[in-house]
Amino acid sequence: MIETILNILFSGVFNASTLFLVAAGLQVVFGVQKVFNLACGTFYALGAYVGITVVKSLVAGGFPTPLFIVPLIMAGLLLGFIGPIFERGLIKFVYDRDETFQLLLTFAMVMMIEDIIKFIWGTSPQTMGGIDLVYGQLNILGATIPVYNLIVIGCSFGMAILIGYILLNTKFGRTIRAAADKREMSEALGINMTWIYVKVFTLGTILGTLGGALVIPAGAAVSEMGVELIVLAFAVVVIGGLGSMKGAFVGALVVGVLKSIAISTYPELEMLTIYIIVIVVLVIKPQGLFGGGRV
Amino acid sequence: MRNRREVTALKSFRIVSLVVGGLFLLGLPLWTSQFISYLMLTFFAYAITVIGFNLLFGYTGLLSFGHALFMAVGAYTAAFLTSKFSFHYMEIILVVAVIVASLLAALIGAICVRYIKIYFAMLTLAFGMLFYTFLLKFYYLTGGDEGMRVLRPYLLGFNFSEIPKMQFLTGSYYLYTFALLAVLTFVMWKIVSSPLGLCLKAIRDNPEKAEYLGVSVRKYRWFAFVISGAYAAIGGALLAPAIGQVDPGLTYWTHSGTLVFMTLLGGFENFLGPLIGGVVYIFLQDKVMSLTQYWRFIFGGILAFIVIAAPGGIAGMISSLVRRRKS
Amino acid sequence: MILSAEDLHKHYGEFCALGGVSFQVYEGEFISIIGPNGAGKTTLINVLTGLLKPNRGRVFFKEMEITGIGPERLSRLGLARSFQLVNIFPNFTVLEFLMVAIVSRLGKVKNFFSSLLRDQEVTEEALVVAKLFGLDEKRDMLTKNLPQGDKKMLDVASAFALHPEVILLDEPTSGVSTSDKNKIMETLVSASKKIGIKSIIQVEHDMDIVFSYSDRIIALHQGKILADGAPEKIEKDEEVVCTVVGQKECFKIFRAVLNREN
Repeated sequence: MIETILNILFSGVFNASTLFLVAAGLQVVFGVQKVFNLACGTFYALGAYVGITVVKSLVAGGFPTPLFIVPLIMAGLLLGFIGPIFERGLIKFVYDRDETFQLLLTFAMVMMIEDIIKFIWGTSPQTMGGIDLVYGQLNILGATIPVYNLIVIGCSFGMAILIGYILLNTKFGRTIRAAADKREMSEALGINMTWIYVKVFTLGTILGTLGGALVIPAGAAVSEMGVELIVLAFAVVVIGGLGSMKGAFVGALVVGVLKSIAISTYPELEMLTIYIIVIVVLVIKPQGLFGGGRV
Repeated sequence: MRNRREVTALKSFRIVSLVVGGLFLLGLPLWTSQFISYLMLTFFAYAITVIGFNLLFGYTGLLSFGHALFMAVGAYTAAFLTSKFSFHYMEIILVVAVIVASLLAALIGAICVRYIKIYFAMLTLAFGMLFYTFLLKFYYLTGGDEGMRVLRPYLLGFNFSEIPKMQFLTGSYYLYTFALLAVLTFVMWKIVSSPLGLCLKAIRDNPEKAEYLGVSVRKYRWFAFVISGAYAAIGGALLAPAIGQVDPGLTYWTHSGTLVFMTLLGGFENFLGPLIGGVVYIFLQDKVMSLTQYWRFIFGGILAFIVIAAPGGIAGMISSLVRRRKS
Repeated sequence: MILSAEDLHKHYGEFCALGGVSFQVYEGEFISIIGPNGAGKTTLINVLTGLLKPNRGRVFFKEMEITGIGPERLSRLGLARSFQLVNIFPNFTVLEFLMVAIVSRLGKVKNFFSSLLRDQEVTEEALVVAKLFGLDEKRDMLTKNLPQGDKKMLDVASAFALHPEVILLDEPTSGVSTSDKNKIMETLVSASKKIGIKSIIQVEHDMDIVFSYSDRIIALHQGKILADGAPEKIEKDEEVVCTVVGQKECFKIFRAVLNREN
């Protein structure tokens, strides 16, 4: 009994870790430039696919398997720097437009990037062949937990703390929060909004690609993963509150654990449960736990 | 500003061109290939759907990313009645589809119209995907990912099963669907020219002010939602016999995205814009798909272009050209 | 008594916008609400018109409680308002703008299929209101293309088109040059008479206008009523004038101006 609970809990927190990264990316971009980036899920998918390719080719070339996590993380981080291409190339044109148009533009991005993924990697699922088990498994009170998962949870937690620190204690963080709060004021105070927007969007993209890269050793990369993730990320954001980092953290935990519970009790109804929860939360408390403002 | 004579002249021009266009479409199967007529048939079904969709999007300002749900409801109704119950009377199928979709839209709409913009979009997306999961998982009822077959319906009581399929589709079924499109377009025109239409536009442009002028924002948004849901169901029910097989993909969020795309492509600010968008999309998709399997990439690019450079769509571009010629 | 506010309180977190405001409005009165910025005037209007729910207190309209019922139901009951910052439908023509109010007043929205353009009644009623406000020449102009003053007038006119019994105007002459202010006020007063509006409540900063047109003045300061009475009484109240105008020296200037006018 207790091992089942622990299993569910740990896999839930594992889900939550990667979800948190993507949701944080979503939140920070929404908070600052008020754009809801539907493509965050697709960046996640990109991170996963690129992660697989990088690690597989390195390992095939003789790279020591136990160190795979290093190039994996680096790939996830570096890939995020494609962010400025999208921000400067597409998104910047719609900052002053209606939200629905911004949403549609990110939808167009989803369409394009998904076909790029299909072009490069094809449509059959890709995996790393269980490379995550290289680190072995821990046995806690009867529950078997891959050490890799714990590493990811740790990384994610570390990122959360890092983000929190940056937002609260650094000049960059303060600038972001000011820009999120009052755009014109910030501009009047001489803050270069263009540069901020690029940086923030890149940060959001990096978080997405990193999330995808980290999750992939434990699973498979499939063409629908981007789309499925955006719904989950939206669920996180709804539960936690749009624009709130704390919300992303708590929301991710809730959604991650719930998904885990659903998988082990009614695997058929996994996504169904998520959709229902999104709808329920939106009906009861649309601002989420930590969000503000009118809906 | 225009004077009386100019207004009447413009109106007559519009009516004449509509009639000419209508006659052209009506006679199309006589001088084109079966394949093109078939594509036009699918266009008619989508046209009905997007005319309804635009009531919600263009006139009321609500972007639904789950509208394909209602199309799927209509399509599955047709599939159910024809294959599971061997019931073929198209008129009744349409009525049932409208009733089911309207009830569903009334329920879902009641929840969704309390929200706007992103939340409305994502909420409708969630409902659309909820229906997708339902269609997929309850396979003993819905056929799962294989879907269900749609058998040939009786039109106005006539059984056409003797005639080969393509001939039926590009002959009597084509006329039937076209007639419905014409009627439903006319009905929608009446709706948007009515006081309700004015109020919806007011709600779109300034919901707060509209509220202060006594316009019940939530109630009218709900009306628009239900009406557009009913239209989509009719479109879906008409599409089903043409494609012969319904599957859960009909309600996948990217299919809803297609409806949005069509509307935007043609121009959401123009009454006939979505129709233009629908026909261009269908023929363009056919062309592009035959060239490459990466048509999504191209269409994504087109969508991005429209959003950034030409938000008024094709109709918008035409109007600004006309305006520029005038000045 | 047509409108009454009972002990209205409204806080935004720590900040107290209204700290216990009570007053009654009677049929036939023209009331001006004055006060320095931040006194709570717009909050008061928002609470009176049901846009905001007060933390405490109630609002009554003709014996019926209307606290927080929302703008839509309010307009049906006979209370309308105009906005300080112009609140318009940019893509509508002047006529269409007014038709929205007419259509909801006449309950025409139920007819899904009736053609609006051919509806004589609605068009005529809209034209009547447009004429009252000097906008009938511009009836086919798009609202977004109107000069600022006309936009304001249209906003006010649409509220009048609801044929309310009581109308609340939030700074009807703000943003308008001084020479035009009187013209606007005259338009408002004559339109009210023609439509049959029973009471007008306005928030206004221009003291000349306030003292020329009001039957009664309510002075608000830091969320509380400082004074409530006829202009003659208020103008003698040094405290009120200084709070509203701002400086003790101005009181003397103010008195001098008034004396010169009289």
